[in-house]
Amino acid sequence: MLRRAAFACAIGIIVSPAIMVFLWMLSLSLKNELDNSTYPPIFIPSAPTLSNYTQVFADNSMGLYFLNSLIVSGGATLIALLVGIPAGYGIARLQAHRTTVLILIARMTPALSFLIPLFTVFQLLGLNNTLTALVITHLVITVPIVVYIMAGYFETLPRELEEAALIDGGSVFTTFRYVALPLARPGVVVGTILAFIFSWNNFVFGAVLAGRATRTLPAAVYNVLTFEQLAWGPLAAAAIVVTLPVLLLTIFIQKEIVAGLTAGGVKGG
Amino acid sequence: MTDRTNSTHPDALRRRLLQAGAGAAALGALPAGVPAAMAQAPFDWKRFKGEKIEVFLVKSPRGDLLTKYHKEFEDLTGITVGSEMVPEQQQRQKAVIEFNSGNPSFDVIALSYHVQKRQFAKNNWMSDLRPFLNDKSMTTPDLDFADFAKGGLFYAVETDGRVMSLPLNLDPWVVYWNKELFAAKNLAFPKTFAEMVDSAAKLNDPSKGVSGFVARGLKNANVPVWSSFLLGYGGSFIDANGKLLTDTPEAIEAGRMYQTLLAKSGPQGVAGFNWNESQSLFVQGKAAMWLDGIGFAQPLEDPAKSRIVGKVGYGVMPAGPKAQVSALFADGEGISAQSKKKGPAWFYLQWASNKANQTRMLQAAAGAPVRNSAYAAAQQSSDFKAPKEWVECMLKSASIAQPGLPVIAPVTEFRDVFGVALTNMINGADPAAELKKATAEFQPVLDKSEKA
Amino acid sequence: MATLSASPAPAEPGVPAAGFFRRRRRALRLMTIPALAIVAAVIVFPWLFTVYMSAFDWRIGSVAHFVGLANYVSLASNQRFLEAIGHTFYFTALAVVVPLLLGTAAALVFHREFKGRGVLRAIFTMPMMATPVAVALVWTMMFHPQQGVLNYLLTSVGLPPSLWVYSPTFVIPSLVMVEVWHWTPLVMLIVLGGLASLPTEPYESARLDGATEWQLFRHITFPLVLPFLLVAAVIRTIDAVKAFDTIYVISQGGPGTASETINLYLYLQAFAFYNIGNASAVVVVFFVIILALALLLLYVRQRAKWSA
Repeated sequence: MLRRAAFACAIGIIVSPAIMVFLWMLSLSLKNELDNSTYPPIFIPSAPTLSNYTQVFADNSMGLYFLNSLIVSGGATLIALLVGIPAGYGIARLQAHRTTVLILIARMTPALSFLIPLFTVFQLLGLNNTLTALVITHLVITVPIVVYIMAGYFETLPRELEEAALIDGGSVFTTFRYVALPLARPGVVVGTILAFIFSWNNFVFGAVLAGRATRTLPAAVYNVLTFEQLAWGPLAAAAIVVTLPVLLLTIFIQKEIVAGLTAGGVKGG
Repeated sequence: MTDRTNSTHPDALRRRLLQAGAGAAALGALPAGVPAAMAQAPFDWKRFKGEKIEVFLVKSPRGDLLTKYHKEFEDLTGITVGSEMVPEQQQRQKAVIEFNSGNPSFDVIALSYHVQKRQFAKNNWMSDLRPFLNDKSMTTPDLDFADFAKGGLFYAVETDGRVMSLPLNLDPWVVYWNKELFAAKNLAFPKTFAEMVDSAAKLNDPSKGVSGFVARGLKNANVPVWSSFLLGYGGSFIDANGKLLTDTPEAIEAGRMYQTLLAKSGPQGVAGFNWNESQSLFVQGKAAMWLDGIGFAQPLEDPAKSRIVGKVGYGVMPAGPKAQVSALFADGEGISAQSKKKGPAWFYLQWASNKANQTRMLQAAAGAPVRNSAYAAAQQSSDFKAPKEWVECMLKSASIAQPGLPVIAPVTEFRDVFGVALTNMINGADPAAELKKATAEFQPVLDKSEKA
Repeated sequence: MATLSASPAPAEPGVPAAGFFRRRRRALRLMTIPALAIVAAVIVFPWLFTVYMSAFDWRIGSVAHFVGLANYVSLASNQRFLEAIGHTFYFTALAVVVPLLLGTAAALVFHREFKGRGVLRAIFTMPMMATPVAVALVWTMMFHPQQGVLNYLLTSVGLPPSLWVYSPTFVIPSLVMVEVWHWTPLVMLIVLGGLASLPTEPYESARLDGATEWQLFRHITFPLVLPFLLVAAVIRTIDAVKAFDTIYVISQGGPGTASETINLYLYLQAFAFYNIGNASAVVVVFFVIILALALLLLYVRQRAKWSA
């Protein structure tokens, strides 16, 4: 009995910080400014208000930025899947560790360092302030993740089936398409989700490269922080708007993430 | 962040520095060649009907106000406005990137003179407005430079006579003070630096969570606070030969004062405070004095945001040993040199700085308009929200104003280097040593930028 | 680039000819080409550009001058940059070790069967997916020394308030706290995957021999999940070294320069001072550091693999 209580306690300690921050965020987003800046803090809003949300949507074209984020992250993830899954397969079957290292190094490079060169090129191509440019930049994030996870995942798959298919006269591509790919579905799911989420959460590219029409959500959220006015309520509301989609995604596909992440994360590189 | 100063051509730098040192007098005479627009011109607001312009503003009460009334401009002129507002830091960053691309996405841009003017001028990123001003068919009779505060025009006009922008807003630094806390200690608003330090110490009451004084301690943002003291001690930033004066006895005294006020009478953790932390402390009634730009009246008097509505005093910066000076910043709007819609953009500039908008700015306490007529007009209006004391403080401060930052291109780097020194002082470092170090570090950067 | 380390030829009759393997390799390489092309365009090209630019003295808006290695030389004696390296290491060390410890503990908890495990695990992993900028803004407010909820919580349980990110001493640990909150779930997931793959036999026999829980962990669980921990360490190190959003939003490298990491310094040089030449040199140095760290960790991991 005591052991069980202690265990429950441990779970509580482990889980509570995670949930508390989000609840506090929610609480901030539902209170007026005075309640938000008061001390001691008010946790449960006395008169909950949705005005922060309406304000955020009315003043900041959040709808447009939401759509932009969806296009940019969706586009970059899709391209990453198209090129990354076959590449992951190739790397796994060739045991091309040096290629993996290259991909890994790409993942290590700080995002900031890509900005200046890419900006210069986009300028030459007349792509600045376009969603295309943002999608291309976000490939920096998505392609390494997908390749890395897929290479790791394909390595865990048994080769016997593929080899049998090859001997039966199948081409490498058909073997990949009809034998390996279906088996790698969990890896694909996790690669998709992680690539999408990391791209969705990226702040710097959107902040520096995007313009009014092409801004993505994280940059837009930061922009809610206005000068000369404290606006914690709207800020928290904006933060919830940007975070909610990924949180929901996390909760719904929890199992796949656990499965795929461990397999991909461990075996690759 | 709300700190504005001016800048000019490199060759005029020295002269301008001297003028800046000479203070408000330097904000004087309009350069020859800038005509006040004549009244009888056949000017037509509808001239550019059907065109579309892009406007790049800073997210601030001023930006909000203009955005709110864009419809009015569209109805007046038939020009469609696409506008974007982003926070100051991002706006500055994006402006440089966009201009540098050679094809900025905007026609009109709002600029903070203290950071952007010299940078823009050096790179020839802005259009000279004189051709428009000289063309009666292009300039509304309402645009009367005689109505513009001299301080504002000083920022907008280059020493060679070019007019690169229209000023909108002045931002002298003032001391917000909590009347209730002062009354509780039987204190009056300080008249001198010495009184200020003394009052701050008396008002400081950590047991009640009340700080005697609060201002920015965060690096970069904090430099104007120190400037405010420096100017009162009779110091300045750079001498006629381009040599930094930031480790002179005056500068060190100002540093000491900064250190004393913030470290001894400031709140815990003030080294990380920007205007927003300072403001949130002040509106909660937890700080007796707050030194910052004048544009914060609106939130302080808003019952939804402030617990001290009606208790706020608006004090002019107390006198230093040598002078009584309010550190002045300003912003305005200009037209991109690469714009293909300069005519419509010019119409936007004229509209943005017209009397109605200037009056609105004051009414909403969204800033201190640059046009003198706005003050009279706003006070006559029935829905005038700004406290009378605020207006008086504004007018007095503007009359003793001097640029709050040096007129140099690498101003961000200046603020960063000296900002770090100031933050270190809050945390106990010796002001003389810190300023000496910062000066040595920044001098080469300055030399290089003036050579380039 | 691709090295084919002999995939063992099937031992069945009808072993395919060598040409078959060559064709197969070619096809496999073909499959990697689009991805490699993208990597070359968006990753390798910027690297080369950066290395090139690092040899120039160039500020946006002025003319670039070739200066050779001067940018590197001045970095080597730039106290602020050297301090930034120090801050980066300090931050990284904490932001790797703490999540590893807590993540392992959490994984041990979540490895057990209990009611509501799925839901609680989902809640626990939420921070990892949350948008850093958004969450950092909320943390900023929580850290406020006078009005923040964290000091309220501390004082309400009788502890003295802290200055958190407003103090030069506590700023890095406080930022690490956010980082730990964000990324402990990732470590937990990786270790959890490791625990799930453990065989059960060694435990059964050890239990028969009367081993305690701690002994089981120390001598069976720990060695078996060590490879997973190392993977987590590699990922964490890479992410911690280049942490940006959190620091940028919460402390901007302050107070003063107390939390200015290399990445923050880089941002300042590139996007506040527009000092592109110098910033490029910072990138190159930064990259060498990251590479060295990663290689070190990969080396450790390889050794662990061999000795396992």
